[in-house]
Amino acid sequence: MVSFDRSRIFRVGIVVIAAILVEVISIMQYERIRKMILEEEDIRNNVVMGAMAHEVEHLLDLTEATMYENLWEVQRCLAHPDSMFSAVVHVVDDNPYVVGGSLAFVPDYYPAKGRLFEPYASKKADGSIVVSQLAGPEHDYTQSSFFKKVLETEEEFWSNPYRFGPDSLSLVTFSYPIINQAGRLAAVCGLDIDLSWLGDTLNARQPYPSSFGLLLTREGTLVAGPPETRTNYAEVKTVLASVNGELPERAIRGFFINRTQLSREPSWQLVQVNRTDEVFARIRRQRRQQMLFILLGLAILAFMINLYARNEKKLQRASEEQARMGGELAVARRIQQEMLPKTFPAFVNGSLEPAREVGGDLFDYFIRDGKLFFCIGDVSGKGVPSAMLMSVAHSLFRMVSQKEESPSRILTLLNRELCRGNDSNMFMTFFVGCLDLYSGVLSFGNAGHDKPYVLTDQITRLPSKANLPLGVFPNTHFEEQTCKLAHGTTLLLYTDGLTEAKNAAKQPFGRTGVQAVLKDFLSGQDQSLGRLVHTLSSATHSFAAGAPQSDDLTMLAVRFAPEKLVRDQITLKNQLSEVNRLSTFIKDYFARFPIEGRLAAGMRLALEETVVNVIDYAYPGGAEGSLSVFADSNGEEIRFTVMDNGIPFDPTAYLEPDTTLDARNRPIGGLGILLSRKLMDSISYSRRNGQNVLYLTKSII
Amino acid sequence: MTTSILETSDQVIAKLSGELDTAAAPLAEQSLQPLADKGKDIVIDCSELEYISSSGLRIFLSILKQAQPFGKQVVLKNVNDVIRDVLEISGFISLFVIE
Repeated sequence: MVSFDRSRIFRVGIVVIAAILVEVISIMQYERIRKMILEEEDIRNNVVMGAMAHEVEHLLDLTEATMYENLWEVQRCLAHPDSMFSAVVHVVDDNPYVVGGSLAFVPDYYPAKGRLFEPYASKKADGSIVVSQLAGPEHDYTQSSFFKKVLETEEEFWSNPYRFGPDSLSLVTFSYPIINQAGRLAAVCGLDIDLSWLGDTLNARQPYPSSFGLLLTREGTLVAGPPETRTNYAEVKTVLASVNGELPERAIRGFFINRTQLSREPSWQLVQVNRTDEVFARIRRQRRQQMLFILLGLAILAFMINLYARNEKKLQRASEEQARMGGELAVARRIQQEMLPKTFPAFVNGSLEPAREVGGDLFDYFIRDGKLFFCIGDVSGKGVPSAMLMSVAHSLFRMVSQKEESPSRILTLLNRELCRGNDSNMFMTFFVGCLDLYSGVLSFGNAGHDKPYVLTDQITRLPSKANLPLGVFPNTHFEEQTCKLAHGTTLLLYTDGLTEAKNAAKQPFGRTGVQAVLKDFLSGQDQSLGRLVHTLSSATHSFAAGAPQSDDLTMLAVRFAPEKLVRDQITLKNQLSEVNRLSTFIKDYFARFPIEGRLAAGMRLALEETVVNVIDYAYPGGAEGSLSVFADSNGEEIRFTVMDNGIPFDPTAYLEPDTTLDARNRPIGGLGILLSRKLMDSISYSRRNGQNVLYLTKSII
Repeated sequence: MTTSILETSDQVIAKLSGELDTAAAPLAEQSLQPLADKGKDIVIDCSELEYISSSGLRIFLSILKQAQPFGKQVVLKNVNDVIRDVLEISGFISLFVIE
């Protein structure tokens, strides 16, 4: 089914309009040329016919001249009747077109010759001349019209054509008076002139195959024309009949007929006949060729328009596709950017500038249980595939590190997931750190990532062991390293978009470039991490100096510089009586910094309930044990850490009791953990190195 | 932690002073145990009670559970903000009459 969409109608329309335009021009041109041909035909016919008329006139002149030249001989010999024979012979012999001649004497001119005397000479086919005396009782020439006419007018006279003799020659008779010396009319000389050759002459050179010329008398009798053997003799007869009014005008439709009258006696007319189809044959042929060319041209035009339209459609589809992809990429970029941290406390800062719409780099941080978890990663490659893997890795990191606090464990779990179904063999370098914001203890694991810079009063690099990147082997072991950061230490993590940023000359920024910037930064006034990240970013860009960013540029800066730290700890035996010591410990601790009483009482209760829980459950069967309680604060948050060596016991895994039940149905236990949870911001449990570790945190601002 | 009990014609009034934490709970439970046996409405005066832990709440609950079958009520009087917080979190605030 053909669908007539707008573009198709438009295309067909163009071709149709072009066809109409070309055809109109062609018709106009044809008509113009036709007119020109007609005009030219007229001029040519006039010229040709003029020439022809001239020729005929010349012939007649010649004939007349010949006869006049012989006149004197006749006149001279008029006294001798018998010499008239030789005179006639002379005249006939002298003129090639004259086939016969007679001298018809007025009656009784020569009494010796009787009343009528008419010597006659005729030319035979072989050229011999036969002489006779025609006059007799059966031939009384005085009754012939030519004799009477000349007798009457004493002027020369051309007869109408007639046919004579066994050859049916077309003859005309030219008659003229012979005057004797006494000035009287003696005889009428009549010369029979054969004009059949005139037809051949007229038709010898015709402009078109079917053209012909006719010589007619004033009355329309045919004097000379084309030979009857001509194929189109029927046309000749039709034209002749029409010219003489025997056929209606329309019979000669299709012919151009030009007439011209001889400018002398006899007043014959020349008729030139051309067939219109032959006159216009050439232009018609040209027009046919032209039409062919036009059709060909239109076909090519249609083809090209079609081709163009198809290309156009393809181009349009491609650009729509591109726009759609662009739109989707923009959304992907936004999603990716939104996954990145946007707000930073003073001790963390980071930035990610993808080289394309989406990038294969990531960084993240979050704080849990007074610990800063942070990571930076770089997926091999760039663009969408990297971005997708990066998003997966990012989500995994968030999920895994909510529960795990060991960087080695986090890397192992991430690696296992990223190796699963990794048919495209993509991998990513990754660095995970966990910084205790109170102790400065940093545990970290490195999966093939660049060693972070350590900024103190000098610039060093964290001696991290480079393990294999994530996604290479599912069973890779990621070594965990631990160190304690001195107060004021800054860690700078980065991806190779920093060190491998290239300028227009393809030279990399390199570690020397980065170190120079770091050195500058350390000696500067503003030591904020935001400033550090910004300075490095602008230094990289000004180094690249407009060269296109070759890789994602990602940085993450972490600093251990807590202020207003208040830390204390106590070790308790697993006896309920120890709660007294705990109460004293915590009251003393709270006395060290300003804190509201109600808040302090709540936290004390939460800690007491947790500790009681541990005492009650971690050491079953009356086993003796101990537990350590750490209290840390930085003026903004308080973190209690409760650690024991008892059996694995996670109080956070227990369901909360239903606090809406009435007294009869309320169970006696289960309230402690509920109170702890409600009174603190968070409680988390982990089992580490054979110990139960519980963190309780609460914001105090 | 000290406890004093005052008995009137229709009420038993127990006045608690100090901190009722886990360590103090066993003793407090012992001294408050007879309250329910009197068959009277029980008033616990908390005006001098500074602190209470879940073990303290458990004592209150067990007193309530004993008094209720006799149609007697347990009134907590003069609770401070800290204790009110605990009562609210635990849902105990709807079990007791708070004055």
